[in-house]
Amino acid sequence: MAAPVRHVGHYINKNSRFLLNNLDQLRGHRGFGWTTAVLQQSATAEKEPTESTEAIVIPRKKTWSKEAVLEALASTVNRDPTAYKYQFQDDPYLAPRTSAEFKLFSLSQESGRSAAKYFINSNPKFFTKDFAEPHIPCLMPEKVSLLLEEVSEEALKERISLRKVKAAVDMYDQLLQAGTGVSMETTHDLLDLICLYSDREPVQEGGPETEDVESAEEANRSKGRIRRASDFLKTIWRENNNAERIFNLLPERDTHCYSALIRGMIRHGAYVKAFDMYTDMLNNRMTADVRIFNALISGAPEVREKYNERWDLIAELLNQMNQQKVQPNLLTFNSVLKALRRCGSLARTQALHTLSEMKALGIAPSLASFDHTLAAFYKAASPTQGQTDLLQEVMSELAGSSFTCQDPDDVLFFSNVMRICLDNKDIELAYRVQSLVEAGENWRLLGDSHQQTIYYGRFFSLLCMMEHIDVVLKWYRKLIPSLYYPNVQGMRDLLQALDTDSRLDLLPTIWKDIQLLGHANKSELIEELLALMARETHSPEVQESFAVCALDVKSVFNGDRGTLSLEWSTSALCHITSLLLRAKRTQEAWEMLQLFKAKNRVPSEELMNEFLLECHAAGAPDRAVELVQLSAAFCLPATPRLAQQTLKDFDLTDEQRAALSELESAGEPTD
Amino acid sequence: MAEQREDSAVLKTSEGGAAPQGGVTVEQEVGKPTQVKGDVAKSGKESLLGLLGAMKVEVTNKKKLKNLKAKQRYEPAVKPNPAALESTISMFQKATAESSAHSETLDPDLVAAASAAASTLPNQSQAESELLRQLRRHEAVTEAQRKGDMSNLGVIIADMKVGRRPNRQNARPANQIRFDDDGQGYTHDRSITAELDGVRRRRNLFSGKRLGIFSPTTDEDKTPPPPAKPTIWDVDFANHLVLSTNQMPRNGFEEMIQWTREGKLWQYPVNNEAGLEEEASVPFHEHVFLEKHLEEGFPSQGPVRHFMELVVSGLSKNPYVTVQQKKEHIAWFRDYFQQKTDILQEADVYLN
Repeated sequence: MAAPVRHVGHYINKNSRFLLNNLDQLRGHRGFGWTTAVLQQSATAEKEPTESTEAIVIPRKKTWSKEAVLEALASTVNRDPTAYKYQFQDDPYLAPRTSAEFKLFSLSQESGRSAAKYFINSNPKFFTKDFAEPHIPCLMPEKVSLLLEEVSEEALKERISLRKVKAAVDMYDQLLQAGTGVSMETTHDLLDLICLYSDREPVQEGGPETEDVESAEEANRSKGRIRRASDFLKTIWRENNNAERIFNLLPERDTHCYSALIRGMIRHGAYVKAFDMYTDMLNNRMTADVRIFNALISGAPEVREKYNERWDLIAELLNQMNQQKVQPNLLTFNSVLKALRRCGSLARTQALHTLSEMKALGIAPSLASFDHTLAAFYKAASPTQGQTDLLQEVMSELAGSSFTCQDPDDVLFFSNVMRICLDNKDIELAYRVQSLVEAGENWRLLGDSHQQTIYYGRFFSLLCMMEHIDVVLKWYRKLIPSLYYPNVQGMRDLLQALDTDSRLDLLPTIWKDIQLLGHANKSELIEELLALMARETHSPEVQESFAVCALDVKSVFNGDRGTLSLEWSTSALCHITSLLLRAKRTQEAWEMLQLFKAKNRVPSEELMNEFLLECHAAGAPDRAVELVQLSAAFCLPATPRLAQQTLKDFDLTDEQRAALSELESAGEPTD
Repeated sequence: MAEQREDSAVLKTSEGGAAPQGGVTVEQEVGKPTQVKGDVAKSGKESLLGLLGAMKVEVTNKKKLKNLKAKQRYEPAVKPNPAALESTISMFQKATAESSAHSETLDPDLVAAASAAASTLPNQSQAESELLRQLRRHEAVTEAQRKGDMSNLGVIIADMKVGRRPNRQNARPANQIRFDDDGQGYTHDRSITAELDGVRRRRNLFSGKRLGIFSPTTDEDKTPPPPAKPTIWDVDFANHLVLSTNQMPRNGFEEMIQWTREGKLWQYPVNNEAGLEEEASVPFHEHVFLEKHLEEGFPSQGPVRHFMELVVSGLSKNPYVTVQQKKEHIAWFRDYFQQKTDILQEADVYLN
């Protein structure tokens, strides 16, 4: 009996909790002898700290955005500095190697896409079958032609949504004539449409091929900005256009109508009218909204001439804004700061005040605000005596943050800041700016390719100016050509940096890069390169590489590669020849001399001396005589001396001596 | 990293508990010029003492500091200190500026500390009076700021005599000195960085005078504006923003992200039923059991019925068609057979 009891006790101990829960049932139904034992065990069990049933907290289900997986994957990939831009990674033949190629290829990609879109939209009957499951709306033809023809508000809304200005205005007039009222909302939309485009048709984005070619040409002219053609047309607000007419016809005008008109007028240059309309609005005792004020502030410098008058107008507008209880937003202050750029000396103090105001109101300044403020302090032309205090403050304020574009002028921030660093030769600050660019998604705010080129160009020149050549080369490999195709000035800065740190042995590799970048036809660059190579004598290997390089340059000049041949210049010829001489490539050097004659260029005296020395070293008296005769043919003033030297140094035949002495004497009499 | 440094400093001071150690750690931190913008909880007096400790004054002063520390009630927390300051006077000003007391009158500990500090200077009485004046001035400024009344501040500042250095008079904006409302007696201070530039210049960027036109609205005043329908102006603005920034993808993943946003690519992790949301709400039996549609409009026997049963059986196995389409299919047949009723009756097939 004891053993089973012990066993039972052991069992009860192990499963005390389970038994405790069922204990009441046990006790109720059975009256066994060992219930006392059970009770004892349960008592001991109860003395143990019973684990309270933990409240199980089910964590809230995480919802991920639809791009979360891809973003996580994308964060594992860094930029490869040896690869070209991603959009060109298709055919190695089509990888752009120069900046001109880059612009051309990216424009052609864009134009291809828009041509495809145009075809789909203009021939929807060929694109009816929908294969995609689930449905992809953006690949289907868009509705570009009008469907509704009857005179109704629906038709008007359709025209507005398709942005057909003239058709919408006509429909509106028809509706008014028919007597049907148009709802206020539709009227607002109509006025917005007319004022945005200043009563002209908007330029079609997916226009036919010709328009893209035109925009490409225009873009190429203005340094390859990829823009729609409409941006280049400065539209003017015409007198008595439809917007004003419709506005005057309206029985009641509310803030939105005024807003549309004022904004349209400011956008298209009718500043005085806009201000008149604003006073009109005030006379009707209406409150303006924040967008009206933004527009008016940005137009303020146009309606006043003197700096303090401009500022007074802006301040008055802001005060009225406060009185009308309109809360300013970021764009308000950005337009204040932008207008301050045209207020002369007032800009410095007032810009700082505006920044403090923004801070006090809890509006975080965007990059554009800082850009305008810095522009007030750091004018492009005037030196600031190396004081970059304000910029350093701004950088410490911004350090490490990631930005999104909130104002179209945000993209000008980085290139302007780099200009300030360049003007003040502050490399530390430039590094801070670069680290800000590399933080997060800020690289997007460098803007389009033109702005990027400006930014990196300035950064690279600053590096070449200030840093040791190893650092320069490290950045060179990082930036070029994956981010930036340097122009001629950039390459010249690089050559200068090489010269400063006496790394002229790298010149042949740089020459190859110059050829890749398409600057091989820039004469001043080649001149500088040749001059640097030919200036001093180097070690034999370096001289040999220089000679190879020189031959390469010669082939460029001759147009051997099919490129346009350059005009030979004297210095180029001299340098190449001396380089060849130093590398002991005498035969090629002699050929160069013949080239002198062919191109009607006169070799320099040092070159002749070098040749003579070389002939002496090679022991070729015929050559020496030929040289002197050549020199005489060029009517060089050094001819007699050369002749003399030849006579002295070389063993010559009699006739040679005769010829030489003639030359010697021929040069003697002074004219 | 700043927090770690502070923790290690705290550990050191709590272990040693003596002023020289505090001074040692302070000097070590001097060598690490990082910009610490964090919140450092400390007592006002402690900051003053920490700064004084950084001054590298003689031992006599440290003894006095030790005494002062012995009287402390709060946990010591050493904060990173400025390295090189231009003059001791300016440092005193900063010291007094960084500390703030809770009450209107000056904290007696502060006064004691000020006099202790002043005792090291050559001109003791003048320095002490200047320190105390600065403290009182700062009190008034911070009180006015706490009340959020900027005009009072202007009055107060106008009353103050202009000191040798105009920096002193600048009103520090609220973000630099925040007040604790839970009565713990210390405030969160902006740490003075090791670089003098950061200190001086940060004040200049945002702490200058405001335009004073707008007043910051509190959250209760501001009702959220009703969300307006995006007008054509907004669309144009958004378009302009997108065009001006660089949106080109840098690698294949970013391109796929762009495609996902445009709707051209499956969303990862892939859901088999993406795009079939309306179908999810249709129960399966409506797809499968379609005989109930045969109850009216069709004969209940005969070849027509047989044919329709086959049609229904085929439709029930069809996963590609919606229920509505299936019903329309059957309805078409219904209309068709009803149109052809006379032909069927002629063939004696139409049994009703």
